[in-house]
Amino acid sequence: MDNGMEGMLDTYLFETNSLLDRLDEMLMADEKIGDFSTDDVNEIFRIMHTIKGSSAMMEFSAMAEIAHHIEDMFFYIRDKGIDSLDPQHKKELFNLMFRSEDFLRGQVEKVESGEALDTDIDSFAADINNFLKKISGAPAEQPEESPAAEAPQTHPAALDHLPDDKEAVCFLHIFLEDGIGMENLRAYMIVNAVQECGIDLRYYPENMETDSSTAASIIEEGFFMAFTSEEDANKASDVLRTQNYIRSYELAAVPEPEPEPEVPAKEEPVKSAAPASAPKPAPAPQKPAPAKQAAAPPVKQNLISVSLMRLDSLQNIVGEIVITESMVTSAPELNQLSRDAYDNFMKSARQLRKLTDDLQDISMSLRMVPISGVFQKMSRIVRDMKQKLNKDVHLTLIGEDTEIDKTIVDSIQDPIMHMVRNAMDHGIEDDPSERIALGKSPQGEIILSATHTSSEVVISIADDGKGMDPEKLLAKARDKGILTKPESEYSVKEALGLVMLPGFSTNQEVTEFSGRGVGMDVVKKNVESVGGVVSLASEYGKGTTFTMKIPLTMAIVDGMKVTVGNSIFTIPIANIRQSLKILPEDVIRDENDNEMLELMDSFYPVVRLHQFFNIDTDVTELSDGIVMWVETSDRSFCLFVDELVGEQQVVVKPFPAFLNYFELKNSGIAGCTILGDGNISIILDIQSLHSAALENA
Amino acid sequence: MSEQLNNQEDIQDVAEMETDELSTIDRCLTFESAGLILYISTNNVIEIINNHSITTLPLMPPYIKGIINLRGQILPVMDIQQRMGKGPTEFTGSACIIVLDIDSVSLGIIVDSVRQVMDIDLKNVRPIPLKHQQKLLNGMVTMEDGSVFMSIDCQALAVPQ
Repeated sequence: MDNGMEGMLDTYLFETNSLLDRLDEMLMADEKIGDFSTDDVNEIFRIMHTIKGSSAMMEFSAMAEIAHHIEDMFFYIRDKGIDSLDPQHKKELFNLMFRSEDFLRGQVEKVESGEALDTDIDSFAADINNFLKKISGAPAEQPEESPAAEAPQTHPAALDHLPDDKEAVCFLHIFLEDGIGMENLRAYMIVNAVQECGIDLRYYPENMETDSSTAASIIEEGFFMAFTSEEDANKASDVLRTQNYIRSYELAAVPEPEPEPEVPAKEEPVKSAAPASAPKPAPAPQKPAPAKQAAAPPVKQNLISVSLMRLDSLQNIVGEIVITESMVTSAPELNQLSRDAYDNFMKSARQLRKLTDDLQDISMSLRMVPISGVFQKMSRIVRDMKQKLNKDVHLTLIGEDTEIDKTIVDSIQDPIMHMVRNAMDHGIEDDPSERIALGKSPQGEIILSATHTSSEVVISIADDGKGMDPEKLLAKARDKGILTKPESEYSVKEALGLVMLPGFSTNQEVTEFSGRGVGMDVVKKNVESVGGVVSLASEYGKGTTFTMKIPLTMAIVDGMKVTVGNSIFTIPIANIRQSLKILPEDVIRDENDNEMLELMDSFYPVVRLHQFFNIDTDVTELSDGIVMWVETSDRSFCLFVDELVGEQQVVVKPFPAFLNYFELKNSGIAGCTILGDGNISIILDIQSLHSAALENA
Repeated sequence: MSEQLNNQEDIQDVAEMETDELSTIDRCLTFESAGLILYISTNNVIEIINNHSITTLPLMPPYIKGIINLRGQILPVMDIQQRMGKGPTEFTGSACIIVLDIDSVSLGIIVDSVRQVMDIDLKNVRPIPLKHQQKLLNGMVTMEDGSVFMSIDCQALAVPQ
């Protein structure tokens, strides 16, 4: 878990920094012309939305709050149009934005260097709110009713005795080190760490995550974790030993009226007065000593950003090395070497071959990342939202190891996040009894899946919640004035499509997680920017499924190479059921002389690739060549080719833009790939080949 | 009075000539295809390559010869002789592929032979009188030795028919 947390922190820092860089760039450019463009307003809004979301997830509440206020402000500006601001206000807005950017950067730097974050943000938040009031024409209130107002709310102050928890068998009473700051969040982090290990517990004070004023009582009285079995408590205390900032903790059984003073059984007060170096005592747990988020050893980014152009040129150079290598090793001059010299040469050549293969693998893998990183984030979001919204939801992840080009991952992460949040927030019913009434399991389910097809990555987010009511969507769209034709002319599908329009949100209230209608238009924009499509299927009462289909601009496919005439084709192995040699008498013909084969008691049409593609070849008798039995999701047929060459992992390269005009994608060709010897092989798209060769024939 | 005016005009003309001269001279690559001498601005030319094995693509018009692997980049290759409605270019020793970049669309064209790079004054380029019959050429210029060079229309080249 700790590693996961660290990985998330790395990603968080990296992302937030790049968002802030982007913000800086925009602000500088806009200040020069003294105005914000509408696009930039939207962009700033989105940046703040993302920072808010991810900061809240990482529990950097100060940043989340400031970002939230700025988001509110830009929501207003976006709504009214930037032109509604007079120049004086715009000037102030620039100053405010630069201040905000500096503040956020300052916080990020603190996170990086392991310092505690600012907690006193009220005055700054008030500045932003006042500005918002000013531009919206409302009188600026001086004493801002910001979160500070919640502070006076009294807490169950007496925490010196065990909290009231009837189910609990025993408690762990934990004291944090002095002066570490943000005690409530640190306590919550510790609770989280224990929960991540699959231990069921409750914690007191219950509101410590959200209410910073509980920090005082945690300093004074410590905090409690309640367990339903002693075994859990023991496990938890093992976990505690891996955590930082714990001064001491003790195990207390419920029947005892008083917590026992220092049960020495397993705890070893985690000392280390100076938080700067926190090496664990000798009997360190199996896990590597965790550098927790905001932990003292400065967290530096382990990620660097490399421009894709450099990666591309690396890839090209590696490709050339491989080709040159095979040119050298197969040079005819080698035959003039003596036998011994030749053997020696070949020995070194094989070694070189191995190295270049490794090099090629690495350079290919540089751009490919498994989608699991994104999926893991989603399980974190679902977990947090589950608690906040008090909904019982199970997230199922399918196909986490699907590898996707880095650029694609970047552009689909936000969309997936929005869709998962939407599913949690709006999709799953608030009340389990509603679900039971509809005959569904009380526990909601969200399924997040990723698969490769021959030409696309398909990512779907399905929930079994309320589903969407087309009537309601239409009514809502009418209120928003975004209908473009009479209501009665909208089909169900078109009505569902309204969700993707900018400024559409079916939820009346804006929540922390979703609900401003930014979600779906961001989703659409991001997915379309990588050439993908988003589609939506929803049945009222049964649930909603979002499907994103994204073309593989570059993905590695396991392929089978086959030849037809002089051409080499690659068939994705995932599509191949079987390859077979057949006898002339196996072929069945219909009245139009179309050929078919009987395989496993069903009949399948034969597509002669040389005929379909008009390629000259000597192999025209079915019995002379090879028949590949291929299938996609619901179609299955046989492809006739000359010869099988072998299996190879290939990188799918899209065709140059010039050739898009010819719509190769509709004629069964997915892309091409460069083989080890520099030749080009064409990758077949079985699905579209079927439509082109058999359906429209 | 009128003389003065004329003088002024003359001066203007000279000035125009001077500025024009700076901007109208273009370095062009000349080459032969379909029995014509053609030229294209060197701004569009990336390189000239020989002896590349072309992978044919199925279901393409005949003038699209296929694709080549140019150091890891996939480059479409077109036979401009066929594009101009004539038979395919015969691969003799001098035939080669000129790699072009037209508004960031990369494209290779097969030509019979490449001649040289020379300066062509765009002012001397005349439109081709048979306007409607031209698919690919958009200008002609007579050189000092009397030979006529034709200009390839890059934009038309980059748009498949």
